[in-house]
Amino acid sequence: MSLPQYGFQKLVLLNSAGYSRAELPLDDSVSIIAPNNTGKTSLINALQFLLILNKQHMEFGAHSFENTRRFYFPDNSAYILLEVLLPSGMAVIGCVGKGLSHDYEYFAYQGSLDLDDYRLADGKLVTQPKLIGRLFECGKPAKIYPQAELRALLYGNRQKQRSDDPDFTIFPLEFTSQAATYQRILTRTLRLDRLDSKEVKNYLLEIFKNDLQDRSVDFKNEWDKSFADVNYDKSQYDAVFRNQTRIADMEDSQQTRRILRGKVILWRPLIEQGLNEWEAYYNHTFEQLAQQLKGLVADILALENRQKAVYKDQAETENLLKVQQKIEIRCQELTLRFEFVSDLLQLQNQRKNLQEQRDERVRVIKNAEQQQSPESIKRNIVKVGKEHADLQRQLASLDNNLYLQLQKLLPTDRFELLTRLLAKSVLSLPVTENSAVKLNDTVAFQSFAAQLENNLSANRLELPGLSLDLSALEPNLMLKTAQELETEISDCERQLVDWQNLLQTLETLAQQKRQQQELERQIEVLDADITDYKELLLMQASGSERLKTLAEVQQKLEALKREELTLADQKSGIAQHQDNNKVAQKELQSQHQRINNARQQRLDQHAPFTYLEQLPFLPCMEMAELAMPVLADRIESYNRDCQKHNALDDELNRQLMDLHRDGLSKFQTQDSSEQELDALFAYTVNLSQEQAAIERKARSAVVQIAAILRDLRDSLETLKRRMREFNNKINRRQLSDLKIFKIEPREEEALVKAIQTLISTSEQVESGNSFDLFDHNAVLDDKELNHAKDTLIKEGEARGGLRVEHLFRLVFIIAKENQTPAEFEDIDSAASNGTVLMAKLITGLAMLNQMQDPRKTIKTACYLDEAASLDQHNQRNLIEIAAEFGFTLIFASPEPQITARYCVPIGTTNGKNHISRLNWQILEPINNADLKA
Amino acid sequence: MTLNLTQLTQLQPLFKLLSSGTHLNRLQDTELWVELENQQSHYQDLFAALGFVLVVDGRGFAYFKTDQASSYTGKLTRRLALLLMLLFEYQADQGLHLFQFQQWRLDAALLEKLWQQYQAILEAEEMNSPQMLKEILDSAARVGFLVFEDQTYRLLTAVHRYLDLFEELAQADRPDQLQVEDVEEELF
Repeated sequence: MSLPQYGFQKLVLLNSAGYSRAELPLDDSVSIIAPNNTGKTSLINALQFLLILNKQHMEFGAHSFENTRRFYFPDNSAYILLEVLLPSGMAVIGCVGKGLSHDYEYFAYQGSLDLDDYRLADGKLVTQPKLIGRLFECGKPAKIYPQAELRALLYGNRQKQRSDDPDFTIFPLEFTSQAATYQRILTRTLRLDRLDSKEVKNYLLEIFKNDLQDRSVDFKNEWDKSFADVNYDKSQYDAVFRNQTRIADMEDSQQTRRILRGKVILWRPLIEQGLNEWEAYYNHTFEQLAQQLKGLVADILALENRQKAVYKDQAETENLLKVQQKIEIRCQELTLRFEFVSDLLQLQNQRKNLQEQRDERVRVIKNAEQQQSPESIKRNIVKVGKEHADLQRQLASLDNNLYLQLQKLLPTDRFELLTRLLAKSVLSLPVTENSAVKLNDTVAFQSFAAQLENNLSANRLELPGLSLDLSALEPNLMLKTAQELETEISDCERQLVDWQNLLQTLETLAQQKRQQQELERQIEVLDADITDYKELLLMQASGSERLKTLAEVQQKLEALKREELTLADQKSGIAQHQDNNKVAQKELQSQHQRINNARQQRLDQHAPFTYLEQLPFLPCMEMAELAMPVLADRIESYNRDCQKHNALDDELNRQLMDLHRDGLSKFQTQDSSEQELDALFAYTVNLSQEQAAIERKARSAVVQIAAILRDLRDSLETLKRRMREFNNKINRRQLSDLKIFKIEPREEEALVKAIQTLISTSEQVESGNSFDLFDHNAVLDDKELNHAKDTLIKEGEARGGLRVEHLFRLVFIIAKENQTPAEFEDIDSAASNGTVLMAKLITGLAMLNQMQDPRKTIKTACYLDEAASLDQHNQRNLIEIAAEFGFTLIFASPEPQITARYCVPIGTTNGKNHISRLNWQILEPINNADLKA
Repeated sequence: MTLNLTQLTQLQPLFKLLSSGTHLNRLQDTELWVELENQQSHYQDLFAALGFVLVVDGRGFAYFKTDQASSYTGKLTRRLALLLMLLFEYQADQGLHLFQFQQWRLDAALLEKLWQQYQAILEAEEMNSPQMLKEILDSAARVGFLVFEDQTYRLLTAVHRYLDLFEELAQADRPDQLQVEDVEEELF
């Protein structure tokens, strides 16, 4: 027998789980032999009461805990007892039923487990109430422990132990905090019914917890925390950026408001003073204007009178002028009329002539009226005319008339006869070329005269058929002298004129009378002319004087007109003055009214004008002088300024509210809206710098976030390292026919990549050599970065925090000889039944071992059902591996497994199972030497 | 077996999503996935009682396994299988690691290249234009194999289903007999 090894020695069930009594050795591998459904599992499960203690961690398959309790603790003499060899010596940990309630309690004591201690002399079991006393009698001072306390004892939690308690640490864990995990794994390992990668992952995470900086990262929270400022600043920046135009407007408004304030401040005292003095000014000015108006009315009256006089004068003068002009015109007419009259005498002579003519005419007419008939006068005229003609002819042909010719050519008698025959006029005809008597051929005519002589006979003329006596006839012509002739002719002529005049007068008597009347009329005209001429002469004499008068009159008229004009001007001037005065009065009154109104409407008596000097303003540099006449305008514009100021107040406040609503809250903390505005404007001016500042903040936020993520990533790396170690541990021996059996972490690619993205970004930021890059690709707008962030936030939110466990999953990698490794999540599906069992067991044991304090090894037990599915080689392997991990293996199978040291059959008597120490079969390896022997 | 339905807070959206034949992807539907992870056995039991086999793949996807495929899904999955197989082949030729398919970006340029390189094969399956490829990917996106973001497709973890089959077929060492129909059979 080897050196005594710390660890489980035996498990004893008394009156529990269908066993009247069961003693199971646990100091080495055991093969429990029993047909199915004869309580092998119940036996092993009983260990849970002692090792797990916490009923929440216990597992009894499909059975409820209530039934389980009833099953294990039917009465108050039901015991589950475990003997353990500890460094402090042998110890017993027990659990005893308390009776009908099927409740149970724990006790423990130092010393070995002797079943006689629990049996009374009468063969009955000691009941719970008497147990402590009984044990004490047996020299084993036991103590009742509450479940939690015992658990603390068993799992070495010194903090929860009382100092006087003995050391019952069965499971010396490296970290007592892992007790719960240890228990859970232990439960599993005891049963090994199911073990999938997820559970393994959870256990391993628990196991490696202390190696990992395993805090749950509320990534969103961290991000928000780190980026809270940045996001806030960014939101503020965005809001300002969005509202740049509005803010510019507001800045203008604010400037205007300050100017207005300066103006109001400047003018207020002046307005005040002006209003005080206004009443006096108003009354005084009004009085003045009224006086002025009165004076103007008088002036205008005087002017009107003068105007009337001027009108009258003007009319008179105009009449005078007209008369003068008429005279002048007359003068001109007369001058024109008498242009060819040199003097008065000429006219008088004319008149005299005319008068003579008229007198002659009167005489003629009178003469005529006394004369005979015109016919006789005509006859006289013919007669005298004939006489006159004769005389004329005679005178003309005095040298060569027919008479003389005939006288020459003809004999005297003949001649005489012929002169009687021929008329005097014929005889007196001249004989010349081209006259009535032509003497073409004297000879011929003489012959003819000879012939004629034949026909003439003494005073007779005989003509064929005609006889003419000539004796009665006087010779027609006596020749007279020229002088006689001329006298006769002039007498004749005179007679002829008289006769003719007379005749004419007679014949033209009416005409004559008309002529007379005409003459008389002409005389009258001439008389008038003479009068006019005389007048003209007079006029001519007074011409210069008259012209002078005319000029004077015209001058006077001009003067009057001028005066009239100036009067009208003056009048309109005065009227203008009057109007002006009235307007001024009206204006004054309206000013008064306006001032009164404005006085009522003054805003500067209320806030904010009462403390305007305290508000920021621009001092107004205008020359502020108040003239009373412009007071109304001034005060109105002043009121308007006040109104404008208030409107700007409202407007600015409204816009500020709008900005607040749009999310701009950065400057709200300022004491006043004025300061808020100033801050806002200052911010807006430096928008590009602000953007750069936000960018810097964002980078440092990324760095901050990355630090947290780095922890996560480092944890993941640590875990991977630990997993490699763990794999080494479980691979020390080959499992069954498995060439490879590994449990490997598989990173959740997307998450790890996201973390990596953030970390590498931060590294870029930190190294600072990528400033240019960031200028073009700002952190805040980095798509990849945002995607990574979103991924992590989504994951974190869904899981309520980001932990290293979310970054990977575990897979079982299994490969038999000549096979490529395959990954499995659920080991059950990975290989044959036995192999799976082994894999599970080893995994579980390795995990438990991992948690144990490597300095203290206390061998405990583990259980493998269906052990027959493993061949002996594997069984041996398993036993050795379990031993290495600090466990003794309990095989359960219907047949004995000879690889175990103990074979323990379960017997049945009276329907109760029992395992007696006497039934233990202890298998010893046969020495080679013995075999040979 | 008792199920506390009030604990299964995402039952309705989960069932709606899964029963429509869509694949639940860890990173796309994180909330549902976490819920499924936490209550996996309960959901599995419940869905099993309703006649659905819920498969939860630790690589980050879940789906209802079904034995019958409608003619439409049959056609779609056949074409998608071919398309993905060509894609994997192409990407492998580019020296990319197949298991990093989630990082690939399937943009228009890549589709165009695929089209150019495998036109004959694609046309044999009545995929007659790059636009058709897009349509297939869109359909696949609706059932959770892909996601369309920023004008590119990304393969989701559910594509492991195809990839597993491709691997398996490749390992089966009978590439001459590789038939798309086999894939289909395996998938449904």
